Amino acid sequence: MEEFLQNSGFLIVTMVQQSLLAMSLYYPLMAGQLSLASPGFYALGGYTAAIIGTHEFFTPLRESIGWLAFPLEWLVAGVLSAILALIVGIPALRLRGIYLALATIAFVEILRVLCLNLTITGGAIGIFDVPQLFESRWSYIWIFGPLLVMMLFFSYRLEKSRTGRAFQAIREDELAADSMGINPTRYKVLAFVIGAVLAGIVGAMSAPFLNTWNARQGTFDASIAYLAYVLIGGSRSIWGPLLGGAMLSALPEVLRPLKDSRLIINGLVLVFASIYMPKGIAGVISRLKRSLTWKSRKNGGEA
Amino acid sequence: MKTILQLKTMSRNFGGLMAVNNVSFDVAEGEIFGLIGPNGAGKTTLFNLMTGLTPVSSGELHYCGELLTGLPPHKIAAKGIGRTFQNIRLFKGLSAVENVKIARHIKTSSGLWSSIISTPSCRTEEKCADEKAWEILRLVGLSDRGTELAENFSYGEQRRLEIARALALEPALLLLDEPAAGMNSSEKHELTGFIRQIRDQFKLTVLLIEHHVPLVMNLCDRIAVLNFGELITVGNPADVQKNTAVIEAYLGGE
Repeated sequence: MEEFLQNSGFLIVTMVQQSLLAMSLYYPLMAGQLSLASPGFYALGGYTAAIIGTHEFFTPLRESIGWLAFPLEWLVAGVLSAILALIVGIPALRLRGIYLALATIAFVEILRVLCLNLTITGGAIGIFDVPQLFESRWSYIWIFGPLLVMMLFFSYRLEKSRTGRAFQAIREDELAADSMGINPTRYKVLAFVIGAVLAGIVGAMSAPFLNTWNARQGTFDASIAYLAYVLIGGSRSIWGPLLGGAMLSALPEVLRPLKDSRLIINGLVLVFASIYMPKGIAGVISRLKRSLTWKSRKNGGEA
Repeated sequence: MKTILQLKTMSRNFGGLMAVNNVSFDVAEGEIFGLIGPNGAGKTTLFNLMTGLTPVSSGELHYCGELLTGLPPHKIAAKGIGRTFQNIRLFKGLSAVENVKIARHIKTSSGLWSSIISTPSCRTEEKCADEKAWEILRLVGLSDRGTELAENFSYGEQRRLEIARALALEPALLLLDEPAAGMNSSEKHELTGFIRQIRDQFKLTVLLIEHHVPLVMNLCDRIAVLNFGELITVGNPADVQKNTAVIEAYLGGE
Protein backbone atom coordinates (compact mmCIF):
# COMPACT_ATOMS: atom_id res chain seq x y z
CA MET A 1 0.00 0.00 0.00
CA GLU A 2 2.79 2.34 1.00
CA GLU A 3 4.56 1.64 -2.27
CA PHE A 4 1.38 2.12 -4.30
CA LEU A 5 0.84 5.54 -2.74
CA GLN A 6 4.47 6.43 -3.36
CA ASN A 7 4.07 5.63 -7.05
CA SER A 8 0.49 6.62 -7.77
CA GLY A 9 -0.16 9.23 -5.08
CA PHE A 10 0.82 12.12 -7.31
CA LEU A 11 -1.43 10.88 -10.10
CA ILE A 12 -4.44 10.40 -7.81
CA VAL A 13 -4.09 13.89 -6.35
CA THR A 14 -3.68 15.29 -9.87
CA MET A 15 -6.90 13.52 -10.94
CA VAL A 16 -8.83 15.14 -8.09
CA GLN A 17 -7.24 18.51 -8.80
CA GLN A 18 -8.12 18.33 -12.50
CA SER A 19 -11.68 17.26 -11.66
CA LEU A 20 -12.03 20.35 -9.50
CA LEU A 21 -10.81 22.55 -12.35
CA ALA A 22 -13.27 20.89 -14.71
CA MET A 23 -16.01 21.65 -12.16
CA SER A 24 -15.05 25.33 -12.26
CA LEU A 25 -16.24 25.34 -15.90
CA TYR A 26 -19.46 23.62 -14.90
CA TYR A 27 -20.99 26.54 -12.95
CA PRO A 28 -20.95 29.05 -15.82
CA LEU A 29 -22.18 26.23 -18.11
CA MET A 30 -25.07 25.60 -15.73
CA ALA A 31 -26.18 29.15 -16.59
CA GLY A 32 -25.52 28.45 -20.28
CA GLN A 33 -22.24 30.37 -20.49
CA LEU A 34 -19.21 28.80 -22.16
CA SER A 35 -16.35 30.40 -20.20
CA LEU A 36 -12.76 29.20 -20.59
CA ALA A 37 -11.40 31.65 -18.01
CA SER A 38 -10.63 29.05 -15.33
CA PRO A 39 -6.87 28.70 -16.09
CA GLY A 40 -6.54 32.47 -15.54
CA PHE A 41 -8.04 32.28 -12.06
CA TYR A 42 -6.10 29.08 -11.37
CA ALA A 43 -2.88 30.95 -12.22
CA LEU A 44 -3.96 33.92 -10.10
CA GLY A 45 -4.61 31.64 -7.12
CA GLY A 46 -1.28 29.89 -7.56
CA TYR A 47 0.67 33.14 -7.72
CA THR A 48 -1.20 34.42 -4.67
CA ALA A 49 -0.14 31.36 -2.67
CA ALA A 50 3.42 31.41 -4.05
CA ILE A 51 3.89 35.09 -3.29
CA ILE A 52 2.44 34.89 0.23
CA GLY A 53 4.55 31.76 0.79
CA THR A 54 7.90 33.12 -0.43
CA HIS A 55 7.96 36.93 -0.59
CA GLU A 56 10.04 38.59 2.16
CA PHE A 57 7.28 41.13 2.75
CA PHE A 58 5.13 38.33 4.21
CA THR A 59 7.94 36.75 6.31
CA PRO A 60 6.78 38.27 9.63
CA LEU A 61 3.20 37.19 8.88
CA ARG A 62 4.26 33.63 8.08
CA GLU A 63 6.37 33.41 11.23
CA SER A 64 3.58 34.64 13.46
CA ILE A 65 0.75 32.44 12.15
CA GLY A 66 2.66 29.30 11.11
CA TRP A 67 0.65 26.72 9.15
CA LEU A 68 -2.40 29.01 9.21
CA ALA A 69 -0.69 30.82 6.34
CA PHE A 70 -2.04 28.09 4.03
CA PRO A 71 -5.77 28.56 4.71
CA LEU A 72 -5.08 32.30 4.55
CA GLU A 73 -3.62 31.84 1.05
CA TRP A 74 -6.76 29.98 -0.06
CA LEU A 75 -8.97 32.70 1.36
CA VAL A 76 -7.00 35.54 -0.26
CA ALA A 77 -6.91 33.66 -3.59
CA GLY A 78 -10.68 33.14 -3.43
CA VAL A 79 -11.37 36.80 -2.65
CA LEU A 80 -8.99 38.09 -5.34
CA SER A 81 -10.53 35.71 -7.91
CA ALA A 82 -14.02 36.91 -7.01
CA ILE A 83 -13.02 40.56 -7.41
CA LEU A 84 -11.28 39.93 -10.74
CA ALA A 85 -14.21 37.78 -11.93
CA LEU A 86 -16.60 40.65 -11.23
CA ILE A 87 -14.39 43.12 -13.11
CA VAL A 88 -13.98 40.78 -16.09
CA GLY A 89 -17.40 39.11 -15.97
CA ILE A 90 -19.69 42.13 -16.04
CA PRO A 91 -18.48 43.35 -19.45
CA ALA A 92 -17.52 39.91 -20.88
CA LEU A 93 -20.85 38.25 -20.12
CA ARG A 94 -22.60 40.62 -22.50
CA LEU A 95 -21.12 38.33 -25.16
CA ARG A 96 -22.71 35.02 -26.01
CA GLY A 97 -21.57 31.56 -27.03
CA ILE A 98 -18.31 31.35 -28.90
CA TYR A 99 -17.65 35.09 -28.49
CA LEU A 100 -17.64 34.75 -24.73
CA ALA A 101 -15.30 31.74 -25.05
CA LEU A 102 -12.92 33.82 -27.18
CA ALA A 103 -13.02 36.76 -24.77
CA THR A 104 -12.21 34.49 -21.82
CA ILE A 105 -9.30 32.91 -23.75
CA ALA A 106 -8.02 36.45 -24.36
CA PHE A 107 -8.31 37.10 -20.61
CA VAL A 108 -6.20 34.01 -19.86
CA GLU A 109 -3.57 35.13 -22.38
CA ILE A 110 -3.43 38.68 -20.96
CA LEU A 111 -2.86 37.31 -17.47
CA ARG A 112 -0.18 34.91 -18.73
CA VAL A 113 1.77 37.62 -20.56
CA LEU A 114 1.42 39.90 -17.53
CA CYS A 115 2.82 37.22 -15.21
CA LEU A 116 5.64 36.54 -17.65
CA ASN A 117 6.77 40.16 -17.43
CA LEU A 118 6.17 41.28 -13.83
CA THR A 119 8.94 41.07 -11.25
CA ILE A 120 6.62 40.07 -8.40
CA THR A 121 5.61 36.91 -10.32
CA GLY A 122 9.24 36.02 -11.03
CA GLY A 123 9.06 36.73 -14.76
CA ALA A 124 9.74 33.81 -17.07
CA ILE A 125 11.47 31.80 -14.33
CA GLY A 126 8.53 31.94 -11.97
CA ILE A 127 8.57 31.33 -8.24
CA PHE A 128 10.58 28.47 -6.71
CA ASP A 129 10.60 26.75 -3.33
CA VAL A 130 6.98 27.41 -2.46
CA PRO A 131 6.67 26.11 1.14
CA GLN A 132 5.07 22.69 1.42
CA LEU A 133 2.01 21.99 3.50
CA PHE A 134 2.71 18.23 3.72
CA GLU A 135 5.84 16.13 3.43
CA SER A 136 4.54 13.69 0.83
CA ARG A 137 2.73 14.54 -2.38
CA TRP A 138 0.06 11.95 -1.61
CA SER A 139 -0.94 13.79 1.58
CA TYR A 140 -2.32 16.64 -0.51
CA ILE A 141 -5.39 14.47 -0.96
CA TRP A 142 -6.34 15.75 2.51
CA ILE A 143 -6.99 19.21 1.10
CA PHE A 144 -8.13 18.45 -2.46
CA GLY A 145 -10.36 15.55 -1.35
CA PRO A 146 -12.45 17.53 1.16
CA LEU A 147 -12.73 20.42 -1.32
CA LEU A 148 -14.10 17.97 -3.90
CA VAL A 149 -16.65 16.60 -1.42
CA MET A 150 -17.63 20.13 -0.42
CA MET A 151 -18.15 21.13 -4.05
CA LEU A 152 -20.27 18.04 -4.69
CA PHE A 153 -22.45 18.95 -1.73
CA PHE A 154 -22.55 22.59 -2.88
CA SER A 155 -23.65 21.55 -6.38
CA TYR A 156 -26.26 19.15 -5.05
CA ARG A 157 -27.89 21.87 -2.96
CA LEU A 158 -27.41 24.49 -5.66
CA GLU A 159 -29.27 22.46 -8.26
CA LYS A 160 -32.39 22.33 -6.07
CA SER A 161 -32.22 25.98 -5.02
CA ARG A 162 -33.80 29.19 -6.28
CA THR A 163 -30.41 30.33 -7.57
CA GLY A 164 -29.77 27.02 -9.35
CA ARG A 165 -33.18 27.16 -11.00
CA ALA A 166 -32.42 30.69 -12.22
CA PHE A 167 -29.14 29.38 -13.74
CA GLN A 168 -30.95 26.55 -15.51
CA ALA A 169 -33.71 28.85 -16.75
CA ILE A 170 -31.10 31.12 -18.35
CA ARG A 171 -29.37 28.10 -19.90
CA GLU A 172 -32.66 26.87 -21.37
CA ASP A 173 -33.95 30.21 -22.67
CA GLU A 174 -32.48 33.50 -21.55
CA LEU A 175 -35.28 35.64 -22.98
CA ALA A 176 -38.00 33.59 -21.36
CA ALA A 177 -36.11 33.63 -18.04
CA ASP A 178 -35.89 37.42 -18.27
CA SER A 179 -39.64 37.60 -18.91
CA MET A 180 -40.24 35.42 -15.82
CA GLY A 181 -38.56 37.96 -13.56
CA ILE A 182 -35.01 36.57 -13.50
CA ASN A 183 -32.21 39.10 -13.98
CA PRO A 184 -29.94 37.26 -16.47
CA THR A 185 -26.87 39.48 -16.05
CA ARG A 186 -26.89 39.07 -12.29
CA TYR A 187 -27.07 35.28 -12.36
CA LYS A 188 -24.62 34.89 -15.23
CA VAL A 189 -22.07 36.97 -13.31
CA LEU A 190 -22.78 34.98 -10.13
CA ALA A 191 -22.18 31.66 -11.94
CA PHE A 192 -18.98 33.04 -13.44
CA VAL A 193 -17.76 34.21 -10.01
CA ILE A 194 -18.47 30.81 -8.39
CA GLY A 195 -16.36 29.09 -11.08
CA ALA A 196 -13.58 31.68 -10.70
CA VAL A 197 -13.41 31.37 -6.90
CA LEU A 198 -13.17 27.58 -7.16
CA ALA A 199 -10.38 27.79 -9.78
CA GLY A 200 -8.55 30.38 -7.65
CA ILE A 201 -8.68 28.24 -4.51
CA VAL A 202 -7.53 25.15 -6.43
CA GLY A 203 -4.62 27.25 -7.75
CA ALA A 204 -3.68 28.36 -4.23
CA MET A 205 -3.72 24.72 -3.09
CA SER A 206 -1.70 23.62 -6.13
CA ALA A 207 1.28 25.99 -5.72
CA PRO A 208 2.54 24.19 -2.56
CA PHE A 209 1.63 20.84 -4.14
CA LEU A 210 3.75 21.54 -7.24
CA ASN A 211 6.43 23.35 -5.20
CA THR A 212 6.94 25.87 -7.98
CA TRP A 213 4.72 28.25 -9.94
CA ASN A 214 5.27 29.94 -13.28
CA ALA A 215 3.49 31.31 -16.32
CA ARG A 216 3.15 27.81 -17.83
CA GLN A 217 0.37 27.20 -15.31
CA GLY A 218 -2.85 28.51 -16.76
CA THR A 219 -2.41 28.72 -20.51
CA PHE A 220 -4.61 28.33 -23.55
CA ASP A 221 -3.75 24.60 -23.58
CA ALA A 222 -5.23 24.31 -20.10
CA SER A 223 -8.43 26.06 -21.28
CA ILE A 224 -8.84 23.44 -23.98
CA ALA A 225 -7.99 20.57 -21.62
CA TYR A 226 -10.67 21.67 -19.12
CA LEU A 227 -13.17 22.06 -21.93
CA ALA A 228 -12.36 18.49 -23.05
CA TYR A 229 -12.95 17.25 -19.47
CA VAL A 230 -16.42 18.76 -19.47
CA LEU A 231 -17.26 17.64 -23.01
CA ILE A 232 -16.19 14.05 -22.40
CA GLY A 233 -17.58 13.86 -18.89
CA GLY A 234 -20.86 15.64 -19.63
CA SER A 235 -22.01 19.15 -18.80
CA ARG A 236 -25.50 18.47 -17.48
CA SER A 237 -24.57 17.17 -14.03
CA ILE A 238 -21.69 17.77 -11.63
CA TRP A 239 -20.58 14.14 -12.09
CA GLY A 240 -19.66 14.91 -15.70
CA PRO A 241 -16.69 17.22 -15.03
CA LEU A 242 -15.67 15.01 -12.11
CA LEU A 243 -15.49 11.87 -14.26
CA GLY A 244 -14.08 13.67 -17.29
CA GLY A 245 -11.34 15.41 -15.30
CA ALA A 246 -10.31 12.26 -13.46
CA MET A 247 -10.32 9.98 -16.50
CA LEU A 248 -8.69 12.30 -19.01
CA SER A 249 -5.92 13.33 -16.62
CA ALA A 250 -5.21 9.65 -15.91
CA LEU A 251 -5.36 8.54 -19.56
CA PRO A 252 -1.83 9.63 -20.60
CA GLU A 253 -0.39 7.83 -17.54
CA VAL A 254 -2.35 4.64 -18.16
CA LEU A 255 -1.20 4.61 -21.79
CA ARG A 256 2.44 5.35 -20.90
CA PRO A 257 3.64 1.82 -21.87
CA LEU A 258 2.58 2.62 -25.45
CA LYS A 259 5.24 5.35 -25.57
CA ASP A 260 4.54 8.01 -28.19
CA SER A 261 1.61 6.26 -29.84
CA ARG A 262 -0.39 6.98 -26.66
CA LEU A 263 -0.97 10.49 -27.99
CA ILE A 264 -2.80 8.96 -30.97
CA ILE A 265 -5.03 6.90 -28.68
CA ASN A 266 -5.57 9.98 -26.51
CA GLY A 267 -6.76 11.89 -29.57
CA LEU A 268 -8.95 9.04 -30.81
CA VAL A 269 -10.69 8.80 -27.45
CA LEU A 270 -11.53 12.50 -27.63
CA VAL A 271 -12.87 12.27 -31.18
CA PHE A 272 -14.99 9.17 -30.64
CA ALA A 273 -16.30 10.33 -27.30
CA SER A 274 -17.57 13.58 -28.77
CA ILE A 275 -19.26 11.76 -31.67
CA TYR A 276 -20.85 8.87 -29.78
CA MET A 277 -21.44 10.45 -26.38
CA PRO A 278 -22.70 13.98 -27.05
CA LYS A 279 -23.93 14.22 -23.47
CA GLY A 280 -20.68 12.77 -22.12
CA ILE A 281 -20.00 9.86 -19.82
CA ALA A 282 -22.49 11.19 -17.27
CA GLY A 283 -25.15 11.26 -20.00
CA VAL A 284 -24.50 7.62 -20.92
CA ILE A 285 -24.67 6.54 -17.27
CA SER A 286 -27.95 8.33 -16.62
CA ARG A 287 -29.42 6.84 -19.80
CA LEU A 288 -28.38 3.34 -18.71
CA LYS A 289 -29.86 3.96 -15.27
CA ARG A 290 -33.13 5.15 -16.75
CA SER A 291 -33.46 2.20 -19.11
CA LEU A 292 -32.69 -0.21 -16.25
CA THR A 293 -35.35 1.23 -13.94
CA TRP A 294 -37.80 1.27 -16.85
CA LYS A 295 -37.13 -2.41 -17.56
CA SER A 296 -37.44 -3.43 -13.93
CA ARG A 297 -40.70 -1.52 -13.63
CA LYS A 298 -42.00 -3.27 -16.73
CA ASN A 299 -40.97 -6.68 -15.39
CA GLY A 300 -42.52 -5.87 -12.03
CA GLY A 301 -45.80 -4.99 -13.75
CA GLU A 302 -45.97 -8.33 -15.54
CA ALA A 303 -45.16 -10.42 -12.49
CA MET B 1 -63.67 51.34 -14.70
CA LYS B 2 -60.08 51.82 -13.56
CA THR B 3 -57.39 51.91 -16.24
CA ILE B 4 -54.64 49.37 -15.63
CA LEU B 5 -52.57 49.81 -18.77
CA GLN B 6 -52.13 52.90 -20.86
CA LEU B 7 -50.25 53.04 -24.18
CA LYS B 8 -49.29 56.53 -25.28
CA THR B 9 -48.18 57.01 -28.90
CA MET B 10 -45.94 53.96 -28.81
CA SER B 11 -43.76 53.46 -31.87
CA ARG B 12 -41.04 51.10 -32.96
CA ASN B 13 -39.20 51.10 -36.25
CA PHE B 14 -36.77 48.52 -37.52
CA GLY B 15 -34.68 50.51 -39.97
CA GLY B 16 -37.19 52.00 -42.37
CA LEU B 17 -40.03 49.69 -41.34
CA MET B 18 -42.58 51.14 -38.90
CA ALA B 19 -43.49 47.92 -37.09
CA VAL B 20 -45.61 49.81 -34.57
CA ASN B 21 -46.65 53.36 -35.40
CA ASN B 22 -48.15 55.78 -32.87
CA VAL B 23 -50.34 53.27 -31.09
CA SER B 24 -52.38 54.57 -28.14
CA PHE B 25 -55.15 52.84 -26.20
CA ASP B 26 -56.18 52.07 -22.62
CA VAL B 27 -56.96 48.72 -21.07
CA ALA B 28 -59.39 48.67 -18.14
CA GLU B 29 -58.90 46.51 -15.08
CA GLY B 30 -60.57 43.11 -15.31
CA GLU B 31 -61.37 43.14 -18.99
CA ILE B 32 -60.40 40.64 -21.65
CA PHE B 33 -58.89 42.73 -24.37
CA GLY B 34 -58.21 41.35 -27.84
CA LEU B 35 -55.51 42.47 -30.22
CA ILE B 36 -56.13 41.40 -33.81
CA GLY B 37 -54.84 42.21 -37.24
CA PRO B 38 -53.47 40.57 -40.39
CA ASN B 39 -50.05 38.88 -40.38
CA GLY B 40 -47.23 41.36 -39.89
CA ALA B 41 -49.51 44.01 -38.40
CA GLY B 42 -47.17 44.49 -35.42
CA LYS B 43 -49.13 42.63 -32.73
CA THR B 44 -46.24 40.60 -31.35
CA THR B 45 -43.90 43.59 -31.63
CA LEU B 46 -46.39 45.54 -29.53
CA PHE B 47 -46.32 42.74 -26.90
CA ASN B 48 -42.52 42.82 -26.93
CA LEU B 49 -42.60 46.59 -26.41
CA MET B 50 -44.94 46.19 -23.45
CA THR B 51 -42.77 43.52 -21.79
CA GLY B 52 -39.47 45.29 -22.47
CA LEU B 53 -38.04 42.64 -24.80
CA THR B 54 -37.82 45.24 -27.54
CA PRO B 55 -37.09 48.85 -26.55
CA VAL B 56 -39.54 51.47 -27.85
CA SER B 57 -38.43 54.01 -30.45
CA SER B 58 -40.77 56.56 -28.93
CA GLY B 59 -43.86 56.74 -26.76
CA GLU B 60 -44.73 55.71 -23.22
CA LEU B 61 -46.27 52.79 -21.43
CA HIS B 62 -48.01 53.33 -18.10
CA TYR B 63 -49.06 50.48 -15.85
CA CYS B 64 -51.16 51.31 -12.77
CA GLY B 65 -49.98 54.90 -13.21
CA GLU B 66 -46.29 53.91 -13.31
CA LEU B 67 -44.03 54.55 -16.30
CA LEU B 68 -42.66 51.19 -17.57
CA THR B 69 -40.84 52.20 -20.75
CA GLY B 70 -37.08 51.66 -20.48
CA LEU B 71 -37.30 48.97 -17.81
CA PRO B 72 -35.72 45.56 -18.53
CA PRO B 73 -38.08 42.55 -18.93
CA HIS B 74 -37.43 41.07 -15.47
CA LYS B 75 -38.37 44.34 -13.76
CA ILE B 76 -41.58 44.58 -15.81
CA ALA B 77 -42.40 40.95 -14.89
CA ALA B 78 -41.86 41.84 -11.23
CA LYS B 79 -44.42 44.68 -11.52
CA GLY B 80 -47.04 42.05 -12.27
CA ILE B 81 -47.12 41.51 -16.02
CA GLY B 82 -46.94 37.87 -17.12
CA ARG B 83 -46.78 36.68 -20.70
CA THR B 84 -46.71 33.70 -23.04
CA PHE B 85 -44.95 33.51 -26.39
CA GLN B 86 -46.27 32.95 -29.91
CA ASN B 87 -43.52 30.40 -30.62
CA ILE B 88 -43.68 28.66 -27.23
CA ARG B 89 -40.57 29.38 -25.15
CA LEU B 90 -40.68 26.86 -22.34
CA PHE B 91 -37.58 25.65 -20.51
CA LYS B 92 -37.74 22.48 -22.59
CA GLY B 93 -35.05 20.43 -20.86
CA LEU B 94 -36.69 20.90 -17.44
CA SER B 95 -39.77 19.24 -15.97
CA ALA B 96 -43.20 20.89 -16.04
CA VAL B 97 -43.15 21.59 -12.31
CA GLU B 98 -39.66 23.11 -12.55
CA ASN B 99 -40.90 25.36 -15.34
CA VAL B 100 -43.62 26.69 -13.07
CA LYS B 101 -41.33 26.90 -10.02
CA ILE B 102 -38.83 29.05 -11.92
CA ALA B 103 -41.54 31.67 -12.30
CA ARG B 104 -41.86 31.78 -8.49
CA HIS B 105 -38.48 33.52 -8.52
CA ILE B 106 -39.82 36.99 -7.81
CA LYS B 107 -42.17 35.69 -5.09
CA THR B 108 -39.28 34.07 -3.20
CA SER B 109 -36.08 35.54 -1.82
CA SER B 110 -33.66 32.81 -0.62
CA GLY B 111 -30.09 33.73 -1.42
CA LEU B 112 -27.32 31.38 -2.52
CA TRP B 113 -25.86 30.72 0.93
CA SER B 114 -29.11 30.17 2.76
CA SER B 115 -29.98 27.58 0.09
CA ILE B 116 -26.61 25.84 0.41
CA ILE B 117 -26.80 25.51 4.20
CA SER B 118 -30.57 25.00 3.87
CA THR B 119 -31.85 27.35 6.58
CA PRO B 120 -35.34 26.67 8.01
CA SER B 121 -36.79 29.76 6.33
CA CYS B 122 -35.34 28.64 3.00
CA ARG B 123 -36.83 25.17 3.44
CA THR B 124 -40.26 26.62 4.22
CA GLU B 125 -40.03 28.89 1.18
CA GLU B 126 -39.00 25.98 -1.03
CA LYS B 127 -41.93 23.90 0.24
CA CYS B 128 -44.37 26.75 -0.43
CA ALA B 129 -43.00 27.26 -3.96
CA ASP B 130 -43.39 23.55 -4.58
CA GLU B 131 -46.98 23.45 -3.34
CA LYS B 132 -47.88 26.56 -5.32
CA ALA B 133 -46.37 25.10 -8.51
CA TRP B 134 -48.37 21.86 -8.14
CA GLU B 135 -51.53 23.83 -7.37
CA ILE B 136 -51.16 25.82 -10.59
CA LEU B 137 -50.40 22.64 -12.57
CA ARG B 138 -53.61 21.10 -11.19
CA LEU B 139 -55.51 24.18 -12.30
CA VAL B 140 -54.35 23.83 -15.91
CA GLY B 141 -54.87 20.05 -15.76
CA LEU B 142 -51.25 18.97 -16.03
CA SER B 143 -50.55 17.85 -12.46
CA ASP B 144 -50.46 14.14 -13.34
CA ARG B 145 -47.51 14.79 -15.67
CA GLY B 146 -45.69 17.35 -13.55
CA THR B 147 -42.37 15.52 -13.42
CA GLU B 148 -42.14 14.93 -17.17
CA LEU B 149 -39.87 17.09 -19.31
CA ALA B 150 -41.64 20.02 -20.97
CA GLU B 151 -40.31 19.00 -24.39
CA ASN B 152 -42.31 15.74 -24.22
CA PHE B 153 -45.62 17.59 -23.98
CA SER B 154 -47.99 17.97 -26.92
CA TYR B 155 -48.42 21.36 -28.53
CA GLY B 156 -51.66 22.16 -26.73
CA GLU B 157 -50.23 21.01 -23.41
CA GLN B 158 -47.16 23.18 -23.94
CA ARG B 159 -49.44 26.18 -24.47
CA ARG B 160 -51.25 25.38 -21.21
CA LEU B 161 -47.94 24.92 -19.41
CA GLU B 162 -46.81 28.33 -20.63
CA ILE B 163 -49.97 29.87 -19.19
CA ALA B 164 -49.31 28.01 -15.92
CA ARG B 165 -45.79 29.41 -15.83
CA ALA B 166 -47.07 32.95 -16.40
CA LEU B 167 -49.72 32.49 -13.67
CA ALA B 168 -46.99 31.51 -11.19
CA LEU B 169 -45.82 35.12 -11.32
CA GLU B 170 -49.20 36.03 -9.80
CA PRO B 171 -49.60 38.76 -12.41
CA ALA B 172 -52.36 41.38 -12.47
CA LEU B 173 -52.04 41.59 -16.24
CA LEU B 174 -51.63 38.53 -18.44
CA LEU B 175 -50.48 38.84 -22.05
CA LEU B 176 -51.32 35.81 -24.19
CA ASP B 177 -49.72 35.63 -27.63
CA GLU B 178 -51.92 33.40 -29.81
CA PRO B 179 -53.01 30.99 -27.08
CA ALA B 180 -55.23 29.00 -29.45
CA ALA B 181 -52.65 28.51 -32.22
CA GLY B 182 -52.46 24.87 -33.23
CA MET B 183 -55.46 23.82 -31.14
CA ASN B 184 -58.43 21.93 -32.57
CA SER B 185 -61.94 23.37 -32.32
CA SER B 186 -62.92 21.58 -29.10
CA GLU B 187 -59.65 22.66 -27.47
CA LYS B 188 -60.34 26.22 -28.64
CA HIS B 189 -63.76 26.07 -27.07
CA GLU B 190 -62.30 24.81 -23.81
CA LEU B 191 -59.70 27.58 -23.91
CA THR B 192 -62.42 30.25 -23.96
CA GLY B 193 -63.85 28.91 -20.73
CA PHE B 194 -60.42 28.49 -19.23
CA ILE B 195 -59.36 32.09 -19.90
CA ARG B 196 -62.60 33.37 -18.33
CA GLN B 197 -62.06 31.07 -15.35
CA ILE B 198 -58.52 32.25 -14.64
CA ARG B 199 -59.56 35.88 -15.15
CA ASP B 200 -62.19 35.51 -12.42
CA GLN B 201 -60.11 33.32 -10.12
CA PHE B 202 -56.90 35.42 -10.21
CA LYS B 203 -58.66 38.78 -10.73
CA LEU B 204 -56.69 39.21 -13.94
CA THR B 205 -56.78 41.59 -16.80
CA VAL B 206 -56.12 39.64 -19.99
CA LEU B 207 -54.66 41.04 -23.17
CA LEU B 208 -54.55 38.51 -25.99
CA ILE B 209 -53.42 38.25 -29.58
CA GLU B 210 -55.50 35.81 -31.58
CA HIS B 211 -56.15 34.98 -35.20
CA HIS B 212 -59.21 32.83 -34.70
CA VAL B 213 -61.96 35.42 -35.15
CA PRO B 214 -64.94 33.56 -33.60
CA LEU B 215 -62.91 32.96 -30.44
CA VAL B 216 -61.94 36.63 -30.16
CA MET B 217 -65.47 37.86 -30.83
CA ASN B 218 -66.90 35.46 -28.27
CA LEU B 219 -64.31 36.01 -25.56
CA CYS B 220 -63.19 39.63 -25.64
CA ASP B 221 -64.87 42.60 -23.99
CA ARG B 222 -63.06 44.97 -26.31
CA ILE B 223 -60.86 44.61 -29.36
CA ALA B 224 -58.10 46.70 -30.90
CA VAL B 225 -57.30 46.19 -34.58
CA LEU B 226 -53.82 46.79 -35.96
CA ASN B 227 -52.82 46.98 -39.62
CA PHE B 228 -49.31 47.83 -40.90
CA GLY B 229 -48.33 48.93 -37.39
CA GLU B 230 -51.17 51.39 -37.06
CA LEU B 231 -54.20 51.20 -34.83
CA ILE B 232 -57.34 51.15 -36.99
CA THR B 233 -59.99 50.99 -34.33
CA VAL B 234 -60.76 50.05 -30.73
CA GLY B 235 -64.20 48.97 -29.63
CA ASN B 236 -66.53 46.18 -28.60
CA PRO B 237 -66.71 43.11 -30.87
CA ALA B 238 -69.98 44.08 -32.56
CA ASP B 239 -68.72 47.54 -33.54
CA VAL B 240 -65.37 46.26 -34.73
CA GLN B 241 -67.07 43.71 -36.98
CA LYS B 242 -69.04 46.47 -38.68
CA ASN B 243 -66.06 48.85 -39.06
CA THR B 244 -65.34 49.42 -42.75
CA ALA B 245 -61.59 49.99 -42.19
CA VAL B 246 -61.35 46.60 -40.48
CA ILE B 247 -63.19 44.85 -43.28
CA GLU B 248 -60.86 46.53 -45.76
CA ALA B 249 -57.77 45.46 -43.84
CA TYR B 250 -58.85 41.84 -43.78
CA LEU B 251 -60.59 41.49 -47.13
CA GLY B 252 -59.03 44.32 -49.12
CA GLY B 253 -60.75 47.47 -50.41
CA GLU B 254 -62.89 47.63 -53.52
